Amino acid sequence: MQNRIKIERAILNITQEELANKISVSRQTINAMELNKYVPSTVLALKLAKVFTKKVEEIFILDEND
Amino acid sequence: MSNSLLLPNKFKKIGWILLVPSFVVGLYLTIIGFEPKWLNGKMLSIFPTLSNGKYFTVIDVNFMNTIVGVLFIVGGLLVSFSKEKNEDEFIAKIRLSSLLWSVLLNYVLLLFAFVFVYDTAFLNVMIYNMFTVLIIFIVRFNYILIKNSKFLSNAE
Repeated sequence: MQNRIKIERAILNITQEELANKISVSRQTINAMELNKYVPSTVLALKLAKVFTKKVEEIFILDEND
Repeated sequence: MSNSLLLPNKFKKIGWILLVPSFVVGLYLTIIGFEPKWLNGKMLSIFPTLSNGKYFTVIDVNFMNTIVGVLFIVGGLLVSFSKEKNEDEFIAKIRLSSLLWSVLLNYVLLLFAFVFVYDTAFLNVMIYNMFTVLIIFIVRFNYILIKNSKFLSNAE
């Protein structure tokens, strides 16, 4: 699975720390997600979608391996 | 993941204060037994011992090992099962995988010991094995956390 979290964060022009505070997680979590080391829960994915004002499917994309 | 079993973060520090000295003293005790006379006393013994063959009687004991063991276990539990300052789902996942890891590794080591250690030497195995699950978990969990924090200073 791929994600566009880093891109969307750049569009909003906020740091990992700021994004982490917006969705009440640690900065490590944001970092791990951006590096594709961690797949967030549904709730967290929905929160991200809300912050980026995009749909979840526009942020997280399945690839053939999934 | 429900983390209602975890203690508040402040207990972690207390845990370390209990754990580190009792770990050091405990290691020392496994090599050199040490039972100071001022720690002698009487205690309810549930099971029969070599010196007293009855169930549920009060016998003479020395509390050195008891105190060190209890402090280690309580300290270890407090360190292991207190929340991190920034406890979230990612850390909960790391906690779970570290627990899995430590139980698995503990039993692999125990298997190895069963096959290659015998007689009175096995007594030492049993003593260490009482504590290695907690120790391995604490080491593994904190290692992963530190590794992730280091990652952060490189990333943005």
